[in-house]
Amino acid sequence: MQQATSSDWTLGSDRRLSMAAHTTGPTETLVLRYFDGRSSRPHQVQAWFDAGQLHLRGADVEHRVDVRQVQWPERTRRGPRMAHLPGGATLQGADAAAWDAWVQSGGRSDSWVVRAQQSWRGVLVSLAMIVLLMGAGYLWGLPWLAREVADRLPDSVENQVADVALGQMERFMKPSELTPQEQRAVEQAWQQVLQAHTAAQAARGVAVRPSRLLIRSSGIGPNALALPGGTMIVTDDLVRLLQHDGQVIAGVLAHELGHVQHRHGMRMVVQVGVLGFVTSLLWGDYSGVLATVPLWLGQAHYSREAEREADAYSALALRDADLSPAIMVTLFERFALFQQCGRSVLKPGASANTADCQPSDETRDAEEASIWGLGFASHPADQERIAFFRDAAAR
Amino acid sequence: MEHVESGTETLEEVSVHRLDINFTGSGSEYFRIWIVNLLLIVVTLGLYWPWAKVRRLRYFWGNTLVDGDPLGFHGDPKQMFKGWVLVGLLFIAYNWASNFSAVAGVVAFVALGALWPALWRSSMRFRMANTSWRGLRLRFAGSVRDAYLAHLPPFIVVLPMVILSIWIPDDPEADFPRWVGMGYLALLALGVALLPWLLWRLKVYQQRHYALGPLQTDFRASLKAFYLMAMKPIGLMVVLMGALGLTIWGMFQSAGERPVAIAQLFSVLPFVIIGLWLLFFLGIRPWFTARVQNLVWTKTGNSRMRFISQLRFRDMLWLSIKNGLLIMLTLGLYWPFAKVALARLRLEAVHIRSITDMQALVAAAHQQPQEAAGDAAGDFFGLDVGL
Repeated sequence: MQQATSSDWTLGSDRRLSMAAHTTGPTETLVLRYFDGRSSRPHQVQAWFDAGQLHLRGADVEHRVDVRQVQWPERTRRGPRMAHLPGGATLQGADAAAWDAWVQSGGRSDSWVVRAQQSWRGVLVSLAMIVLLMGAGYLWGLPWLAREVADRLPDSVENQVADVALGQMERFMKPSELTPQEQRAVEQAWQQVLQAHTAAQAARGVAVRPSRLLIRSSGIGPNALALPGGTMIVTDDLVRLLQHDGQVIAGVLAHELGHVQHRHGMRMVVQVGVLGFVTSLLWGDYSGVLATVPLWLGQAHYSREAEREADAYSALALRDADLSPAIMVTLFERFALFQQCGRSVLKPGASANTADCQPSDETRDAEEASIWGLGFASHPADQERIAFFRDAAAR
Repeated sequence: MEHVESGTETLEEVSVHRLDINFTGSGSEYFRIWIVNLLLIVVTLGLYWPWAKVRRLRYFWGNTLVDGDPLGFHGDPKQMFKGWVLVGLLFIAYNWASNFSAVAGVVAFVALGALWPALWRSSMRFRMANTSWRGLRLRFAGSVRDAYLAHLPPFIVVLPMVILSIWIPDDPEADFPRWVGMGYLALLALGVALLPWLLWRLKVYQQRHYALGPLQTDFRASLKAFYLMAMKPIGLMVVLMGALGLTIWGMFQSAGERPVAIAQLFSVLPFVIIGLWLLFFLGIRPWFTARVQNLVWTKTGNSRMRFISQLRFRDMLWLSIKNGLLIMLTLGLYWPFAKVALARLRLEAVHIRSITDMQALVAAAHQQPQEAAGDAAGDFFGLDVGL
């Protein structure tokens, strides 16, 4: 077994050269075509191996070269064979089978990569391993990587991202139209839960990341979001939809705090970035549009995972404040009502009963609700989330 | 070939040789090569890429027979690895810069744009310098200066855009001067109008600088031919967009109520988008590929030899439909078969006519330095030498 020398570039370091040929004397000769690299005229040569050397002899060629200095072709089923000699000369044989037998007699065997390529079994095993590795990387590898990167990122980086994100959000936001008293009530309800939760976390030895709450009027409807850097935004419409119920609003904000605590924003940036890079490498040169499909699916999947984590965090914070996670069921009931009846349920004193709302409201409202529902495909199904909060309350 | 150079030989004595190009690669064999290499790329988190690429190129080159003799690929994967890392770092730096600050993103984009022609040129030099036929290495003889000059059209459009941006107010709420908006629109239209010119300049630069031994190619296609070629797809798009606009207008007229018309529009829009996408991938793209290849290669040659490309649109269309369907049905596993079939169709449509004895060529005296960075850049951004 001989290591490849550095001047001999190989497709892997796994080339095996048996030196058994040393002792057995010269091999049989093969008639090949030799090009000297300076002219396109072929020379017919006799070629054979002897003592680790490749010998070439023709009418005007007399050449001897160490086999390890030769860049040998890999065995393929089709195509002529061409070996590159040092100094730019090439040796070519049109009869692939004769060439392969001849090279083998010279003591050269295939690398395992070539053997795998030549057998359908090796190919099927490779295919299965690719599927397994990609699946594992997608389910565990990438989320793990994203968490590690997000946790190690300096705060200055996150703050820079936060500034950009906040700047972009502010375009869709106006100052709140709620009365100062209503805003203060939301703020107070949240501070109560936050303080109880911070104290409980401190007792468990966990630091709660700093956050701040903004109440804004916006065309995006009833919604709450967490931005990188710990800014949480709740819209006027959400406060109205929940009929100023401070405890449920605090539960929603605890969910958003879960996003802040787990740095979901930064994790998503890393995950989508890596996923986009990989899909563009694999499928990008066929079609840019098709390459974005796995990206969208992956993004929705990771986003659902993040929502589950945030729900769990919300249940934890509510229990810390001696509230039952079951109060969150109200949120989903009110959302269902909103989807059915549109903006009419946001009016003060609106009925909590679907039978009371006018299904033939304005078309625009129904449309808005359906678009809103579409956006929530990145969240787990409502039924699943309701069941989760009920279970959390029972524990 | 317009003239036969007078010299010792006269027209009667000249015998014209026809050199056919054959492709002997097989889809099932390339599939096996592709799968095993894909696994190695996944396991090494991408580090194996250059080795896989060399194996792929050697397979395709080795199965491309010009007048019965294969092409050889001599690229060194270790060297290409360096280029791959360099381009990867550039790409990551660009992504990070644009993620965190718009200004840094613009700076990185401008830097990348300024580097691009040089990378593009060194990519072609690397490809050619590492390709051999009958023992002779090919060369790419284009200069850096000409590579930048070939990329002139986008600069003509982008530079005024940058200058115009001075008049954009800092406050996003403030009113945009009307003439600035009109200026941008005019520049965008100019950019589209200059596309055939850009393609022509790039092809002139490429096709005039390929060389084998003493033979260097020349390129005789006119700018007019490129504009005539671009007319059909652009005209088709204009007609389609016009028809689409008229239909939408008609819907709004007949529906009476706006919300109803909008709902109707949203119900047909996905089909329109899919239809346009199919038309582009299965119709316009194969048509354009066939036309560009025929125009570019049939006009490439010199006084001793010339290429002739007779790629038929019908064949390209049929192959695109078949490849596209099978790739989707097999979730991408048909991809290597498609690639081999496409290479066979495109390569075998070309032949060479020559009055030079192709067995008597002698290598040019000088050697080429090898620049792997450019080769990796060409691959990374999907840019490649056509044939």
